[in-house]
Amino acid sequence: MGDMILAWRNVWRNPRRSLLTILAIVFAAVLLVFMLSFQFGSYEDMINATVRQSTGHLQVQSPGYHDRQEMHLVVADAQHLVAEIEPINGVSNVALRSEAFALMSGEKRSRGTTIFGIQPEKEKKVTTLPRQIKQGRYLQKGDHGVALIGSLLAKRLQLTIGDECTMLGQGKDGSIAAALFTIIGIYTTGVDAVDRATVHITFADFNHIFFMEKAAHRVIITAEHLADITPITQALQSNPAFRSLTILTWDKLAPGLRQSMELDLISGIIMYIILVVVVAFSVLNTFFMAFFERTREFGVLLSIGARPARLVRMILTESMLLTFTGIALGTLIGIGLTVYFSHQGISFGDGGELLAQYGFEDRFYPRLSWMSACLGPALLLIITFFTALIPALKVPDLKPVDALRSC
Amino acid sequence: MAIVTVNNVSRIYHQGKTEFKALDDVSLTINKGEFTALAGPSGSGKTTLLNLIGGIDTADKGTILLDGQDLSSLKKGELADLRLQDIGFVFQSFNLIPVLTAAENVEYILRLQKIPSSIRRQKVKAILADVGLADKADQRPSELSGGQQQRIAVARAVVASPAIVLADEPTANLDSVTGQKLLDLMQQMNTDKQVTFVFATHDKMVMDYARRVITLKDGRIADDIRK
Amino acid sequence: MYIILAWRNLWRNRRRTLIILTAVIIGISSMIVMAAFSRGTVQGMVSNSINNLVGHIKIEHQQHPADPAIEHRIITPEKLLRQITAMLPPGSRVVQRIRADAMLSTSREHVGLVLVGIDPDLEQGVSFIGRPPAQGTLFGNQNQGGIIVGRSLLKKINGKLGQKVVITCQGADGTNIAKAFRIQGVFATELESTERAFAFVQLHTMQQMLGVGNDITEIAIQLPDNNGNPPVDLAATTAFLQANVSDKQLLARNWRQMLPAISSYLEMFDGFMLIWYLIVFLAMAFGLVNTMLMAVYERMREFGLLQALGMRPGCIIKMVMSELLLLLTFGCSISSVAAFITVHFFFSSGIDLAIFAEGAEFWGISRIIYPLLTSWDIIAANSVVLLLGMFTGLYPALRATKFSPVQTMRHV
Repeated sequence: MGDMILAWRNVWRNPRRSLLTILAIVFAAVLLVFMLSFQFGSYEDMINATVRQSTGHLQVQSPGYHDRQEMHLVVADAQHLVAEIEPINGVSNVALRSEAFALMSGEKRSRGTTIFGIQPEKEKKVTTLPRQIKQGRYLQKGDHGVALIGSLLAKRLQLTIGDECTMLGQGKDGSIAAALFTIIGIYTTGVDAVDRATVHITFADFNHIFFMEKAAHRVIITAEHLADITPITQALQSNPAFRSLTILTWDKLAPGLRQSMELDLISGIIMYIILVVVVAFSVLNTFFMAFFERTREFGVLLSIGARPARLVRMILTESMLLTFTGIALGTLIGIGLTVYFSHQGISFGDGGELLAQYGFEDRFYPRLSWMSACLGPALLLIITFFTALIPALKVPDLKPVDALRSC
Repeated sequence: MAIVTVNNVSRIYHQGKTEFKALDDVSLTINKGEFTALAGPSGSGKTTLLNLIGGIDTADKGTILLDGQDLSSLKKGELADLRLQDIGFVFQSFNLIPVLTAAENVEYILRLQKIPSSIRRQKVKAILADVGLADKADQRPSELSGGQQQRIAVARAVVASPAIVLADEPTANLDSVTGQKLLDLMQQMNTDKQVTFVFATHDKMVMDYARRVITLKDGRIADDIRK
Repeated sequence: MYIILAWRNLWRNRRRTLIILTAVIIGISSMIVMAAFSRGTVQGMVSNSINNLVGHIKIEHQQHPADPAIEHRIITPEKLLRQITAMLPPGSRVVQRIRADAMLSTSREHVGLVLVGIDPDLEQGVSFIGRPPAQGTLFGNQNQGGIIVGRSLLKKINGKLGQKVVITCQGADGTNIAKAFRIQGVFATELESTERAFAFVQLHTMQQMLGVGNDITEIAIQLPDNNGNPPVDLAATTAFLQANVSDKQLLARNWRQMLPAISSYLEMFDGFMLIWYLIVFLAMAFGLVNTMLMAVYERMREFGLLQALGMRPGCIIKMVMSELLLLLTFGCSISSVAAFITVHFFFSSGIDLAIFAEGAEFWGISRIIYPLLTSWDIIAANSVVLLLGMFTGLYPALRATKFSPVQTMRHV
């Protein structure tokens, strides 16, 4: 007959009330585990979507290039650096990319566009572009004088596969850069800004046309896992070859992404706290009842010599047993639900269009992690514990004589 | 040898603006081995006196010595320990913890005293046999009759060998036959084990059993008769 | 009679009633306050988008949305403008613009953007460019060579006020035209992407430069304002315009058609809010049932006695339900007032999301969020709690009718 057993029996003195209380906690726990898994899952999707679409997990750039994308801020001798990066543990891909602004002209019309010089094979691992080619084909190694263009741009310039177009821009040294290209592919990414004003050519062509002298604007590194980013960064920082260069991680490359996730998380957490507080007040009455309906019993216990602290512990144990049972059940159900939906995915129906505008898939997959499984229940536990303290701390004020007189 | 010494004790209750003197300058001594009843009509102060001796209420004036210790000098926790070690209580009703079995109720006080479990079990077994309820050890209070519940309460009160057992109207909710049996039991404890008993009661039968009857009236001792 | 009895019964156990009342009040008022903030956020998103040179209704050449080339323009719009103005409700604003893709160049930088020719006086209250500029001045009618660029663009090209830039674009005849402008003003908007996407010049200057006479590419219409919602039926007005403009080459679209994503989000929004209300309600429902059960069990004897005296079960149910109704009504009224006070006094100046500015920008929401309290949200939150809350009372009420006098006397 340990104190635990005593508390457990006390919990079940009023099974109906205890069950309702446990259910309230189960409800909150299920919701918190599922929603947090959902949120964390969507953040991971967001990071991966962004990382795949453009930025990579890490980039090496010339200092200042991130703020002002000026042509002359280059990473010189980029190929040599790639050889330095590739052997580092956790690196899955290293791609070089350069960007320039140029006027693209078709037969009648022209438009200012951003020209990307990419390494087709390596870029494949950083971008979803190959899958978004709607007409023609993706670039190949050894291609020369060919370009991929966005679908809206193609329409605007009245160009189609096989047509020729001219490009007019400025080289790294400030001289005029001009070239003639044949369209071999047209892509639709769903992001208007990309489809309307971008062109992709091979890194080699770019190097030649814009007088880059084998330099690149960005060295884009993809890591095996998010957790590999820090060690890779450290390895690069300790390498003298990178001393004069800037190493940027995804959250610096796309600061809006990180903040948007923080904003979303914070507004989520505010909602969860409100929810938990409402649940806590819902169960506070149960905790109080467990105390008040047994005042006489406490009087007897105090009379026969139990110290008040012991009774405080007993009441807290009872309340927390209720809470633990609820949290344990709720967390298990929440995990089950999460695992089920992490395979099924959750469709947003009409909302898919909105998500596509932000570059996401229309199906969301909640993802279970230690964080998502524990954060909600921990919050619940802490707030319920403080709630349980309110009635429990009334015990020391209890006078045995008065307690004995109540019935 | 005096176990309890009450010196000029007063206890005043306030109800709104009116004062009510529950005890008015009471002095008495109770010796080891006594079997004493505090008698008097309701409101005479007998329960108040019992509570003061038991250290669950505090006097406004005067001193109470229990085993030579002044109760008013003790802190809350020390009072609790004193009650645990030196005093046994039997109340009118609802004495037992409903979620514990008869044996567990008796054992609880030994657990509070941190007595090792093997000794606890022996003591509980022995005392349950003494009160004649060895076969009811594993039943919950709700499964026992009123008389049986009170016997368990007596068992709990004496199991830790306290200096004194205080019983507040222990027979009030029992029929006369059951009440008599309970008194027989306590008397037997008194003679066999020299347990000191003090009752607060207005039951004629309890007064008949008692060897000393102190009658209270309006908070004062009206009579003190030793048989 | 029931109400007075219920009121007194409620306060028999003050602590218990206060605790569950607190749960109800925290629940409902946070439902409403959160709804006000969400709605304020969405409203900000909508008005940002509408201000972003979209307007409530836009009229363009029907090819222009898909292919914004200068040849898809509105020819000699004077008569059309008069015609449209006549068709709109009083207080409506009508502006004409001309826009073209262009390249802005400094001595070392080239940037692609959309050049918009505007009449600055007319733009006031219609789009962001009608607001006073962050630096410099809006051009008057005389200044033909001034250009207004966004704050972020200026930073990107490392430029400053008064600097010369060259604009290159394609004229109506297909030739490339280059013209120098002086940066005369800098505009700032909620969204950085907007600051990089547009530059503004005088309508006439641009018409001359492109060689299109008085032609324009779009007519934007701002309907009379009513707390963010036009009082006129947007879809009907759009259809009416489309049916009645004389030039059949033209296309009239309202912002819901132009911004389908935001529009569908708005349609889902009420649903999201209802889900939030339901979740918070469920959290308090368990407490409600439990509290009512306690209140009923505590008075077991009383209910038994009343039945013995001949009270019908229906009356007992009514008694319990009126207590719950009173509790919920009381909670609802306090919460609505509390929510109103919170929104209007504590957050009247909005919440500044400055530390998440880029995150807010990512979602297209404003840096400062002003809560928007609507009667829909207040009514919906209260209805959810009142209607569903009464259901939670059924179980305790039915329990109360089951107590028989004999049974209850044995308790206690």
